[in-house]
Amino acid sequence: MSRFGTLPRRLVHLVVILFGITLVTFFLLRLIPGDPALAILGSSYSHARATAIDQSLGLTRPIWSQYGLFMDRLFHGSLGYSFFYSAPAATVILQHVTPTLFLVLYSAVLAAVISFPIGLASGLRRGGIIDQSARVFFTLSFAMPAFWLGIILLLVFSVHVQVFPISGFGRGIIGHLYYLFLPAFTIALGFSTVLIRSLRAATIATLQAEFIDTARMKGIPWSQVLWRHVFRNAVLAVVAVYGVNLAYLISGTVLVENVFSLPGLGTLLVNSVSDRDYPVVQGVTLLFAVGIVLINLLTDITQSALDPRVGQEIGA
Amino acid sequence: MTAAACSSSATPNGSSGGKTSTVGTLVIANAVRVDTLDPEANSVNESIWLDQNLYTRLLQPNATGTGLLPDLATSWNIASNGLKYTFHLRSAEFSDGSPVTASDVVYSIDRSRKFAGGWGFLLTPVKTVTAPDPHTVVITLSVRHAPLLADLAMYAYSIVPAKLVQAQGKAFFQHPVGSGPFYVTSYKPDSEVDLARNPHFYGTKPKIGKVRMLIVPDDNTRVLMLESKKADVIENPPGNLTSQIDKSPGLHVNLFPSTRVDFIQLDEHFAPFKKLAVRQALNYAIDRNAIVKLAYQGDARPGASFMPYKMQFFDTGIKPYPYDPKKAKQLLAQAGYPHGFKTFLITVSGDVAGQAEAVVVKSELAAVGITVSIQSYELLTAYDKEDNGHSEMGERYWTNDIIDPDEVATFGADCKGGANAFNSYWCSTQANTLVDQARIELNAAQRQQMYSQVQQIVYQQSPFVVTDYSPYRYGIGDWVKGFHVSPLGAYDLSLETLTVDGH
Repeated sequence: MSRFGTLPRRLVHLVVILFGITLVTFFLLRLIPGDPALAILGSSYSHARATAIDQSLGLTRPIWSQYGLFMDRLFHGSLGYSFFYSAPAATVILQHVTPTLFLVLYSAVLAAVISFPIGLASGLRRGGIIDQSARVFFTLSFAMPAFWLGIILLLVFSVHVQVFPISGFGRGIIGHLYYLFLPAFTIALGFSTVLIRSLRAATIATLQAEFIDTARMKGIPWSQVLWRHVFRNAVLAVVAVYGVNLAYLISGTVLVENVFSLPGLGTLLVNSVSDRDYPVVQGVTLLFAVGIVLINLLTDITQSALDPRVGQEIGA
Repeated sequence: MTAAACSSSATPNGSSGGKTSTVGTLVIANAVRVDTLDPEANSVNESIWLDQNLYTRLLQPNATGTGLLPDLATSWNIASNGLKYTFHLRSAEFSDGSPVTASDVVYSIDRSRKFAGGWGFLLTPVKTVTAPDPHTVVITLSVRHAPLLADLAMYAYSIVPAKLVQAQGKAFFQHPVGSGPFYVTSYKPDSEVDLARNPHFYGTKPKIGKVRMLIVPDDNTRVLMLESKKADVIENPPGNLTSQIDKSPGLHVNLFPSTRVDFIQLDEHFAPFKKLAVRQALNYAIDRNAIVKLAYQGDARPGASFMPYKMQFFDTGIKPYPYDPKKAKQLLAQAGYPHGFKTFLITVSGDVAGQAEAVVVKSELAAVGITVSIQSYELLTAYDKEDNGHSEMGERYWTNDIIDPDEVATFGADCKGGANAFNSYWCSTQANTLVDQARIELNAAQRQQMYSQVQQIVYQQSPFVVTDYSPYRYGIGDWVKGFHVSPLGAYDLSLETLTVDGH
């Protein structure tokens, strides 16, 4: 039996989900009062001007035919034309992918670096100094809203001690790493809390498992038991938590992007909804949907790679 | 500079932050992204103000927004019947060194006239725009059109190089070429637009070499940028932080009079608002000074005429309605509502001043027996309700695009003008006629009289409650000398002359 036996079925699911997403976003979006003409005209709105704009944007056609056109374009690899930027929606979205992707990966790595040692240490010495101080510190940081924490970090590290830039994305990988440190750290702190708690719980559970006693009785050195048995099993339990939260991060970066003036996807989505830039909203939503479904898929694959039982259970 | 004795981590001449700005660069932090560098398609104010640094027009508004200055046209003649305008162009060059010709002007004006949903409606009386020779442009009209010069000074009628725009289409506006004081060196609409001094600009060369315009949406972050000297000028610092900025050594907040008029429209689809006495009662019942104090920290002016107070033909004789709840009650009783009525007020969520104003209005109208429920909506949802006659009371504001009153009068006082008199659905044939007459009257004194009359009619008829005139607010470092914003919001003239001392 293949370890990845569920893959084809999951891919079919993906297509069905995406089709559903196009329907939901397309029609829900048009239920919101206000239209692109209103966004463009603002206070100097008049019906004559609005009608002219609607016509030029193709919004006077029946809504089903607009949906048909959208799907037809989609099959030909086009997301249509952004009303706001007067540029292809796909180009606009691509320009915003990098900051968000970089930010999400950066904070995911930072979160892993912070939480794996602390989570394991907390689990190994329950009630110890690391466990207690980590609990207090991370519960506090989790309770702080990201936009507030971000501003405080800026105030300390960019205004009083000027070590990090206030806004911007930087140039090149090194530049990105430097410019995005504070925003990534802001996200990573909140993310770490969840990871540390589940890693700690998993470590404690693993330590109580009978196979650990067996391994120790066999005389395997403690360091090896830790590495091969405790760590591996504990991390396994956290992969699912990690994956689910990573998916959540992609759509949840908007507050942090706003504070640090990052031109990312979250900001783009919020702005585009405000401006009723339908093609961009549809494109970004589709992209998020694909991303989240793919991450879930990858999480399952990683789990089954780490633990053969997972793949067999699902694939059976 | 007052920072001498201060121990703060960054003084204007200190060693901090030297990496990002050099002498001669102005860093402006704006709150909203750039929509386009195409002047005919601009709708975001900040983008309009940016674009005015890139292009020239035939004429331009002066720094006080009350008159016109020559731009590309050094002089112009108007035929005695008012139907033919001849413009004489100066020798000027685009930022790529190619000459600006009369055919570029013709192309640009025609392009904007035809743009779908654009500003072509202003120039409906224009019959032809022609270029008899490379330095002359002639515009003929079907009827006299007093606002023509003001219309041509509007951003939408900026001059672009015909050949390049025709050849490149929309792509041209990713790296546009204009004949203004600056040109674009780097364009990222969501994060940063960089400008450099245009060596081919016909006028005085700007003293600064570069402008970096950063997009920083978060209010607090913009203030932090100013405080850490990473920005020289920031747009719209939040009202509750202005005193903090003023207290910071080396920084201050400047208020620039604007053409913004804040008002509450009274939708006549709601029966009580059909009655003149009710509309007037509301005007007496609302304390404008309280709004100015509580919603604008005292930084606005109480509203009187529906026209912006910093513009041509504003009637200074019109004073704000006095706060007189007794009279309001009397008027309500007279209109048949001695115990008031229930209504709602539409506000825009996230509009801090607007929300504060709504609370003031609610409590003051309660005092005369009117129960107001505040309904907050996202911006376009609110506008959609207001524009389509589904509001009873609705907060709204106006800003001018041209210096001539024709625009604001058409939108605010002429129910046939397309905007239903600021969505009040109030209609006065007398006002309509006056607006039409003033548009074809070329004599300034006559026009003053007509617009005064229009303003008085609107004031007396009260289709809306003009609450206040609020200013533009900028946070500025003391090391920037000469930053000035015109009532239309533009600062291109000041960028030509201001200086930035190294910091």
